[in-house]
Amino acid sequence: MNAIEMRGITKIYPGVRALDNVSFSVEQGEIHSLLGENGAGKSTLMNVLYGMTTPDAGEILVDGKPVTIRRSAQAIALGIGMVHQHFMLTPVMTITENVIVGCEPVHGPFLDRKKATESVQALIDKFHFHLNASARVQALSVGEQQRVEILKALYRGANVLILDEPTAVLTPQEVGELFSVLRELKAAGKSIIIITHKLRETAEIADRVSVLRAGVMVDQGLSAAGCSASDLALMMVGRKVDLSYTRRSKSVGETAYQVQNLNLTVKGVPILRDVALEVHKGEILGIAGIEGNGQSELIEVLTGLRKPDSMELVKDGLPLSGKTAAFLSAGVGHIPEDRLVRGMIGPMTIEDNIILGYHRKKEFSRHGIRRKNEIRAFSEKQLTDYQIKAPNVQEKCGSLSGGNQQKVVVARVFSEDPDVLIAAQPTRGVDVGAQELIHSRLLDLRDAGKAVLLISADLDEVRRLSDRIAVIYEGQIVAQGSYDTWNEMELGLLMAGEKAEKEARP
Amino acid sequence: MEFFLAYLVPILTSTVYMATPLIFASIGGAFSVRGGVMALGLESMMMCGAFCAVLGSYYTSSWAFGLLCGILGGMLIALFHAILSVRYRMNQVISGIGLNLLATAATTLLMQVIWKNKGTSELVVSIDKTIGGPIPILSGQSFNFFVMVAVAVLSWIVLFRTRYGLRLRMVGEQPKAASAVGLKVHGLKYSGVLICGALAGYGGAFLSLDQLNMFVRGMTAGRGYIAVAIAILGRYNPGHIVPFALLFGFCDALQIYLQGQGVSAQLIQMLPYLMTLIVLAVGVKHIQPPAGVGKHETD
Amino acid sequence: MKTFLKNQWARLRRLEEPVLPLAAFLMSLILSGIIMALCGYNPFEAYGAILVGAFGSLRGIVNTFVQATPLIFTGLAYTFAKKASLINLGVEGQMYMGALGTALIGTLNLGLPACLHLPLAILAGFLFGALYGGIIGFLKVRFGSNEVVAGVMMNTIATCIVGYLLNGPLLAEGSVSAQTERVAETAQLPRVFSQYQLSYAIFLAIAACIFVAWFLNRTTFGYELRAVGINAKASETAGISIAKVMIIAMCVSGGIAGLAGANQVLGVDRRLINNFSPGYGFNGIAVAALASDHPIGVILAGTVFGLLSTGATELNRTTSVPVEFVGVIQAMVVIFVAAPLLIRDILHIDGKRRNK
Repeated sequence: MNAIEMRGITKIYPGVRALDNVSFSVEQGEIHSLLGENGAGKSTLMNVLYGMTTPDAGEILVDGKPVTIRRSAQAIALGIGMVHQHFMLTPVMTITENVIVGCEPVHGPFLDRKKATESVQALIDKFHFHLNASARVQALSVGEQQRVEILKALYRGANVLILDEPTAVLTPQEVGELFSVLRELKAAGKSIIIITHKLRETAEIADRVSVLRAGVMVDQGLSAAGCSASDLALMMVGRKVDLSYTRRSKSVGETAYQVQNLNLTVKGVPILRDVALEVHKGEILGIAGIEGNGQSELIEVLTGLRKPDSMELVKDGLPLSGKTAAFLSAGVGHIPEDRLVRGMIGPMTIEDNIILGYHRKKEFSRHGIRRKNEIRAFSEKQLTDYQIKAPNVQEKCGSLSGGNQQKVVVARVFSEDPDVLIAAQPTRGVDVGAQELIHSRLLDLRDAGKAVLLISADLDEVRRLSDRIAVIYEGQIVAQGSYDTWNEMELGLLMAGEKAEKEARP
Repeated sequence: MEFFLAYLVPILTSTVYMATPLIFASIGGAFSVRGGVMALGLESMMMCGAFCAVLGSYYTSSWAFGLLCGILGGMLIALFHAILSVRYRMNQVISGIGLNLLATAATTLLMQVIWKNKGTSELVVSIDKTIGGPIPILSGQSFNFFVMVAVAVLSWIVLFRTRYGLRLRMVGEQPKAASAVGLKVHGLKYSGVLICGALAGYGGAFLSLDQLNMFVRGMTAGRGYIAVAIAILGRYNPGHIVPFALLFGFCDALQIYLQGQGVSAQLIQMLPYLMTLIVLAVGVKHIQPPAGVGKHETD
Repeated sequence: MKTFLKNQWARLRRLEEPVLPLAAFLMSLILSGIIMALCGYNPFEAYGAILVGAFGSLRGIVNTFVQATPLIFTGLAYTFAKKASLINLGVEGQMYMGALGTALIGTLNLGLPACLHLPLAILAGFLFGALYGGIIGFLKVRFGSNEVVAGVMMNTIATCIVGYLLNGPLLAEGSVSAQTERVAETAQLPRVFSQYQLSYAIFLAIAACIFVAWFLNRTTFGYELRAVGINAKASETAGISIAKVMIIAMCVSGGIAGLAGANQVLGVDRRLINNFSPGYGFNGIAVAALASDHPIGVILAGTVFGLLSTGATELNRTTSVPVEFVGVIQAMVVIFVAAPLLIRDILHIDGKRRNK
């Protein structure tokens, strides 16, 4: 019998059919991969199941019985648990408090804090989660936080577990650990739905696969063993794409950007320790590492956003210091890691966004007054050059799709022809088309003799584009070498802090 | 010793007395903010509480009923605030300011309608303030002193040791997460704001029925704003709010005392405000309100 | 005409300016009318009296603008800071300090011609307000102090300082009430009609609104200010100094508030009088709310509020309706204008469905 069955689910947002008559079912005790590109509607479908989105049409059956799920509480009561991609934890509270909230043990009018801690700890031990129930969430690593999210679902007696892009923030080793946890849960008879766009993981863990594309269910309930990765890719994207396309640097020039003796301490905690990196002209240096190992701070320091305790920074032989404005005018371009936070200003127009950071340049500003016509002409040109899909340049940037938003950011930075580019998560949350475009522009820039520092949580991306790779772990560069020095598992070990077994080749 | 008895004891007594309404209101503010709703409307809740308390007492000749009406009056404004800011997602600052304007205008209007006098209400029964006898600090206080102590202790327990408190704080920190685990986000927010209204209303009733025995136009005179400041300084924790409120009460008391000594009234009046500013600047840096203040579960 | 209405209806459905604030305004009038009726007064009589009071005579019209002038300044002051996402609740205090600065220069007999003395006095008002507002910006940037609380504290501090000075050092000789000497002839703002209090400051106020609108849209700093207001982190990444923008925004906002004080001292009262403001500061927030934080809208919104205040006196003179109803109307306007979802619910507009 199907643990979950969704029939004819339709959800319409203004102007978009996010889900169009989608049917989907999950059997008891299976791991089911829900595959699709960003924006295909996977999360919307699961939000419907979890009661966070109300569908416009369709019905849901749990264990064969039709149910109405309008609030998460109802989903929880039906034994459905969800681990969101962006964790929903309160950092200032303890693991126990985060787990129990909503179904707390009480002793008369008071919280039974002792019992709560004990039962949460018992659950932790049962599934070998290696956590301390009294620890505060803000002190946990990303992988640990994810386990707390799984705990939350298990504590509520979840029978069906939905995981939204669970591996996006994990190392290959952590992914392995997660998968063994999932297999253990499956053995205990739980059904697991994994929302993902990664084909390999689907092949590795899933029993069955369903593929969503642009709100339509392309095929559902395929046996994972029976389909090849290229079949799935074709279903997912709707056309043949070659995601393995790349080319390596032909000529590496002299050092363009060199940082030495970089140390940073935040609130007494060392974040970056003795970091030394150099990027040459005509080279992409990729930084591999699990998120939260100092990459964000490294980016901030290298773009002038954060002042380190100590650093010697040299660009093209000249020392560079000061604030962000100085870095920008020295020709250090920056694609921020989170475009919604640092990359763009959603409520402003495309033309306002496309000059952001360069708005004081002579072309755009004269005597402190904006040159409207020049800005207009410039942004219209970028719109065409970067195939940004928007009605006009006066459209609000926030109303574009993720891929087009990122293209605005990329267009802004690339049009300034920076000598050095700090590209952080350049293709996070964008569709395949935009990803292809951004990757090829990055390679073009490199081939034009510019220096690129690529920081990405996507190990595939780092391995594919980089000419050299540096591995960061707990704020230290633990290994550096040519792109082909290590295979994926070896890199994974380095990212997890294991010592390098091979010496880096020069 | 003589100095102690002659000056210090009266000032300390007066400190507690002046601080009592502030403690009620700012603890109310803590409940509201812990649930993720800014409490800039405390002034209006106090004002309405003070007014309704006199109204209730006037019609029933019972201060006990008056206090009850004060609580309800505060809750009425709180209900408006909750509906506007939680259900209709109005900017919480504007909602607070708007309600403050409304409360000032409406109470004056109603005074005119009821007592045909815009300045003051008629006198009503006041609360017995002799229960403390000659005991220092307690003398000249009513049973409200004990209510205040009880509210301070209970509210700490409720916020940090009960299921409700945990849920309220979770809603205030991360409405989305709270909603995801099935908490009734709106209900909890409403409850936080309503508790805030009840306490602020009681604080207002204390002004009109305990400190005085009538309603005076604009009688809260900015105490609601002071209470907002105290709630922030006390980091929305009743345990920290009480000492800060006492500090303000002390300034008030000192002002009354010094006014008899020929020091400029305006400059003394300025004291507590200046102090808040200084404490805000150097004392407690970068106080973070709960992360979810002003956010909604679908953001 | 039909398409025009259709367009406006579409705007309302999308909760857009300027239709929405207008609908909200009308709704608050209706609701206040209902309240009046419930209290046993005739709302039509009351609104009629307000309109007659404000527009029935030259005197009424002039007084509307006399009341509107400080409100336009304070509304603009709040709006300006709001564009940098700063909530300047200290407008009242900045206005008092501006008035103080103006009075200090204005009452001096400098022997300067009016063409120098008057601008100097106005400038002093701007600077005093700017400095006082700048303190809030500085506290926020340097210590992370909440500007809302700091603003409220500084309001009372300002009124206390002014009150102290007017009762002591600056008290006019022989005066029984707390006020300064009369402003020197050379520093007085000329009046539009000799027999009324309306000064040319009204034109200054309107010009200020137009200038701010232009400034925000067309200058590079205005662009930076809006950017910081919407997304401070992205602005920082773009090399914009958030600290600088915030402090300047608070200074300018305070300066504009100071101009409200200058107008009161140089144009209306011709001296600094204690407690001269019946709450222009907080009413300015109401004006800004009605204007939906748009500088040009502030002119209109300020006039509307001026109209209500002027009408209030007529209300008092010719009807039995208590003046306080005007306060109720104003509060209703603030609440309704700032709650677009409420309006939509009342009008049953099916726009975007609220996500459950």
